[in-house]
Amino acid sequence: MNTKNLLKLCVIGSLGVATLGLTLAFTAPPAAAHGERSQEPFLRMRTAQWYDTRWSPSKTSVNDEAMLSGKMHIAEDWPRAVVRPNRTFINVGSPSSVFTRLSSKVNGIPMFTSGPMELGGDYEYVIRLRARLPGHHHIHPMLAVNGAGPIAGPGGWMDIQGNYKDFTNPVKLLVGGTIDTETAGLVAGLFWHILWGGLGFLWIAWFMIRPMFLIRARVLAQEGGDELLTDPADKVAGFVMLGTCFIIIAIGFFVTDSQYPYTVPLQAGAPLIKPTHLQSDLTMKVLAADYDVPGRALRMTLTVTNNGEVPLRIGEFTTAGIRFLNKVGVANNLDPNYPAEIMALDGLNMEDDSPILPGETKDIKLDSRDSLWEFQRLMDMVHDPEQRFGGLVMSWDDSGNRHINSIAGAIIPVFTRAQG
Amino acid sequence: MALFRTKEIIAASKLPPEGVKLSRMIDAIYFLPIAYFGVFATFHMHFDLLAGDWDFWIDWKDRQFWVTVTPIVEVMYPGAIMYYFWTFYRQPFGATLSITGLLVGKWITIILAWYWWANFPMNFVMPASMVSSALILDCTLLLTRSWMLTAIFGVWAFAMMFNPSNYPIFAYSKQPLVADGALLSLADYMGFTYVRTGTPEYIRIIEVGSLRTFGGHTVWISAFFSAFISMLMFTIWWQVGHFVGQSFFWATGKRGVKYRTNDVMIVGTDEYAQRHGTPNGIAPGASGRATLAEGKS
Ligand SMILES: [Cu+2]
Repeated sequence: MNTKNLLKLCVIGSLGVATLGLTLAFTAPPAAAHGERSQEPFLRMRTAQWYDTRWSPSKTSVNDEAMLSGKMHIAEDWPRAVVRPNRTFINVGSPSSVFTRLSSKVNGIPMFTSGPMELGGDYEYVIRLRARLPGHHHIHPMLAVNGAGPIAGPGGWMDIQGNYKDFTNPVKLLVGGTIDTETAGLVAGLFWHILWGGLGFLWIAWFMIRPMFLIRARVLAQEGGDELLTDPADKVAGFVMLGTCFIIIAIGFFVTDSQYPYTVPLQAGAPLIKPTHLQSDLTMKVLAADYDVPGRALRMTLTVTNNGEVPLRIGEFTTAGIRFLNKVGVANNLDPNYPAEIMALDGLNMEDDSPILPGETKDIKLDSRDSLWEFQRLMDMVHDPEQRFGGLVMSWDDSGNRHINSIAGAIIPVFTRAQG
Repeated sequence: MALFRTKEIIAASKLPPEGVKLSRMIDAIYFLPIAYFGVFATFHMHFDLLAGDWDFWIDWKDRQFWVTVTPIVEVMYPGAIMYYFWTFYRQPFGATLSITGLLVGKWITIILAWYWWANFPMNFVMPASMVSSALILDCTLLLTRSWMLTAIFGVWAFAMMFNPSNYPIFAYSKQPLVADGALLSLADYMGFTYVRTGTPEYIRIIEVGSLRTFGGHTVWISAFFSAFISMLMFTIWWQVGHFVGQSFFWATGKRGVKYRTNDVMIVGTDEYAQRHGTPNGIAPGASGRATLAEGKS
């Protein structure tokens, strides 16, 4: 660990001590270091529903490429409190630019600028990254919605090894040549800042070498003092400085202009991204749902109809980037690299887990029970001004085909065991 | 022959040698730690609140808003500071002081906050420099000795010179490149490649083609508009300087009436005693005709 990191740790440490002090003073519930758990449950459950998120590979060296990819369903039941996603940007939630972003595609369309997204639409994003700053970093996909702010997806750890000094980010220019974004224009920028700054300090120094304030104020108060203070040397200096400025500006401008004959303004268009839609042979309706506060479980009753030709089994309920699975889900959809801390492998229970047969309609009691509800601060739902929940239910047939339904509904909290 | 009139000025101040020495100490203590650091700290805060993002990010430096907003915000403090230094001391460095001070603050932020703490490369957060514009403004005041002419010509040049004087710093970032089949400027790409979690692309307030009537001359139209508003801002802030920089005395005259006197330098002098009959305790010993004659220069 070098001195720089040590110093940073000291600053973070003292901030941490202050935070801890405040936390103890106000007995606030612990907030995640990254803040993702501090977003309100309705914001995380009913806006962007993240699934199939992948961080690959999770270990890289400086300059290596990595990928952050996955899918996102924009909830139909978008909360009233959140501005509609008319201008959105797929972003990366990371502590500073630990990776540079090389490319970002949503449903195959590059997303350099912000664009609209549709409620009920499904979007697949692929973000290519290049490892830049060594360390152990928590990386989230993120949907930034203009007017609503960032909506963080699930976070996974990515490690970068090596040395930042080795990092380069070469880019090919249209008119030929390659440029490194880390250093491009730096020397010229420093030169001009030093040149103008130097002239500025010289100008101030010209007046600092002589009495500045009290003496001049006393002279100015006298008859004829103004004329006396108008030193001919200053007049000359004024003309010289004025001429110098205009000449340097003109030389700088015209030389630069001939140096860069082909320039373009900043590009500010909006990508038009066509959504896809979730495919499922099941139709689902939330009949009733309650939230068992002491039991830390979301219990729902769904009316499910199978319109397809093969029997289907429910295997996963996912909301706010947190996954609740049963045996079916584990067998079909377990990514061994998915962060264990946001996944409950035995978190989904059904009273009757027989498959839903083709043509069958039945009420299913689904129960997702895990301490994650509390740890991920989703139990704070009871403090929201709108008691509704949302999420994705995934089902599989015997040959492993996945069917996804987006569900949403009202939810009633159960505060005591007696009530439940 | 001496380069400066310093000797005559010191003589006219009628300060004893110890007084002259002391006044230089006051200059040093007052100018650097108080005036300079006070200006750079407050102006830096003021500027970053009003135009910070345009100045930090390479991908905010557009032809419309950056060119318009920066001179308007950057002429405010110079207006007030120039009033103060010119009116009370005839010192023509108010604008240069404000803007070099701003840049001292900016560079502390760039090195410590952006580069060292947040790990952004320095070229990505390079600020604009308006020192050349400030020098032009100060020289205009020095040469015209009129704040009205300074507001008209100096401020006009202050704003109009912003783009040409910063073009050498930022032109490289306007070079085109193609990424994923889309044409971008290098600045756009840098804004994209350096991940800013809290600053998604739509936060940018930049030209989206709204000045389409003027074709390729957007930057000059913006600069012209900026110059116009800057003139207005300069005069307003000159008056702010006047309001904040008021110095007056409450004095009691011969008949015991309290009144306000705006010329603080006159209080305690013989001229004051002559005008008001008595300095009334303010300038002991300044009551006779003899001292009055001596005090007149
Ligand atoms: Cu995180």
